[in-house]
Amino acid sequence: MFYREAGQFKTSYAADQAIYPIRQDKIGILILFGFSLLAIPFIAPIYWLNSILIPFLIFSLAALGLNILTGYCGQLSLGTGGFMACGAFFSYKLATAMPDTNILIVFLLAGLGTALVGVLFGLPSLRIKGFYLAVATLAAQFFLIWMFNKFSWWTNHSPSGVISAPPRAVFGDIDVTSASASPEAKYVFLLLLVSFLALIAKNMVRSRIGRSWMAIRDMDIAAEIIGIRPMLAKLSAFAVSSFFIGVSGALWAFTYSGSVEALAFEINRSFEVLFMIIIGGLGAIMGSFLGAAFIVLLPIALDTIPLLLGLPLSVETVAHLRLIIFGALIIFFLIVEPHGLARLWQIGKEKLRLWPFPY
Amino acid sequence: MNDISSQIPAEAAGTRQPERRFGEPLLTVENISLSFGGLQALTDISFDILEQEIRAIIGPNGAGKTSMLNVINGFYHPQKGTITYKGNIRRTMRPHMAAAQGIARTFQNVALFKGMSTLDNIMTGRLLKMHNLRAPETGVFGLDQVLRWGAGALDFVTQCLYWGPNEKEETRQRAYCEEIVDFLEIQAIRKTPVGRLPYGLQKRVELARALAMEPELLLLDEPMAGMNVEEKEDMSRFILDVNEEFGTTVALIEHDMGVVMDISDRVVVLDYGRKLADGRPDEVRSDRGVIDAYLGVAH
Ligand SMILES: Nc1ncnc2c1ncn2[C@@H]1O[C@H](COP(=O)(O)OP(=O)(O)OP(=O)(O)O)[C@@H](O)[C@H]1O
Ligand SMILES: [Mg+2]
Repeated sequence: MFYREAGQFKTSYAADQAIYPIRQDKIGILILFGFSLLAIPFIAPIYWLNSILIPFLIFSLAALGLNILTGYCGQLSLGTGGFMACGAFFSYKLATAMPDTNILIVFLLAGLGTALVGVLFGLPSLRIKGFYLAVATLAAQFFLIWMFNKFSWWTNHSPSGVISAPPRAVFGDIDVTSASASPEAKYVFLLLLVSFLALIAKNMVRSRIGRSWMAIRDMDIAAEIIGIRPMLAKLSAFAVSSFFIGVSGALWAFTYSGSVEALAFEINRSFEVLFMIIIGGLGAIMGSFLGAAFIVLLPIALDTIPLLLGLPLSVETVAHLRLIIFGALIIFFLIVEPHGLARLWQIGKEKLRLWPFPY
Repeated sequence: MNDISSQIPAEAAGTRQPERRFGEPLLTVENISLSFGGLQALTDISFDILEQEIRAIIGPNGAGKTSMLNVINGFYHPQKGTITYKGNIRRTMRPHMAAAQGIARTFQNVALFKGMSTLDNIMTGRLLKMHNLRAPETGVFGLDQVLRWGAGALDFVTQCLYWGPNEKEETRQRAYCEEIVDFLEIQAIRKTPVGRLPYGLQKRVELARALAMEPELLLLDEPMAGMNVEEKEDMSRFILDVNEEFGTTVALIEHDMGVVMDISDRVVVLDYGRKLADGRPDEVRSDRGVIDAYLGVAH
């Protein structure tokens, strides 16, 4: 009963085109954001910040990037890990070469560099689709990781194996990178940055550029008939997607793991992010967050829930269970609900609108 | 219908007597031949489409009608022949270039963007008309190109921020699309994902998307296939209205002879990739070759 748009009449197209046309949604999201920003840093235990919320935000950004390419533009990619590595190594090189530059600018430049790499590896998409494109992006994944491992220039010829991300500040002297920064500061920094980038993604997909991506995804022939240039649409999707993924890789190295290493961005990472958008919802901004939350929380839930129930599982069992649940869910979502958790959320809201009446 | 082609006279009847209201030829195809490997889909086809007319293309299954439309909007590249559009001989082009020149199209099998709502489909049709920013024309060599790139980059930024010019343009174009929605009477399905719509409505949405391009030449490939009588009447009325109100030139493929006779100004008949007849509906209807090949034997 409380969730209705009754009485909320839209008097302009602008109001109808808003991100959240229903008032309750808008209020809800503002409360969530306010709570995340003002309350969580003070009440959440360090463990939560470091092992759940920070990786969740970084994964969300990576999933957002892949969702733009795969969910919105229909171009399957298995190169996510490689592009994250680009962002990490580019920002490491930039941050060490220009120590006085604001870290935000470093991340921006690293993202732009990754966008360029993405366009380069996106070129085959002009000729090939689906499975073959996936194989081409897989080649990108292996090539990029090989390159970062092979040439010690990327790690400033560091003799030791461990390359720590240098500490850098954003606002005045608040450190937000490296292991020495406080988790609260890192969390707030990530929350603001990822929210801002998500807003940009949302704006893109409800503007011209987003429509050209979706048109290519849904029916590339008809898209071209309408005047969309397939090359421009696909390459812009690769660029924007890689930018987001690149920034997420930089954030991974600088704010989460604190070290820059190609090992973190192997092919498994690519699949992990792909699973996130399949479970969360292809072609839904919100789905990227839901999927990331799901995959970050699942192992923790598998660790704690059996414990609470009084049947402790061994570490191996948990690892296996995790894979089994992933597999089952992915099959379920691919077959039953390709729009993932985001769509289930939507259906739930539609039901709520009618509640308590069944129709 | 095995041996019809041998009975077809090389140049069938068809005297062109366009009515007064038509203008110059908007599009002329001359001696178009198109083959796929060994299969000759079109052989030496010539005809023209006059400004503001409704031109029907008919013929039995596999006659090459769809292939002809594909040639016109740049999908297929004929091995032989020329196409003159708006007085200029057209060089080989891609479909998106044809779109930029004002040629819109609907498909025999509905080709909507299934994941999007009706309104988003129509808004996508408006893509070429949307400009958040326009670069000023200076006429200085090189500078214009740089300005255009700059405007393109700024345009992209306004889309990222959904701010200022972008919001204004979205709203302005939305208003235009709503006019089309009203015109085609699809208000109730604005926000419905098109995949959930019944076939007849999908065809209508596809027409709406084509109209959003404000085309000068509208190519319709069997817009009424699979419709019931009522839906056909609606669609015929829409096509006539588009033609009259916006002065849009229409080229239309249709199997329903009643509809063709009712709404078209001139008809070109294809059979086995050859032109069989060309003329006013009544002339074509009484043409011996057409009756044999199409009306008589095939049905
Ligand atoms: N891309 C293609 N590759 C190979 N052959 C093709 C191709 N497109 C069309 N053809 C062939 O060209 C011939 C003409 O086909 P077209 O689709 O133009 O016929 P049509 O008149 O539109 O028929 P219908 O009434 O069934 O739609 C057919 O024999 C078809 O098989
Ligand atoms: Mg056809």
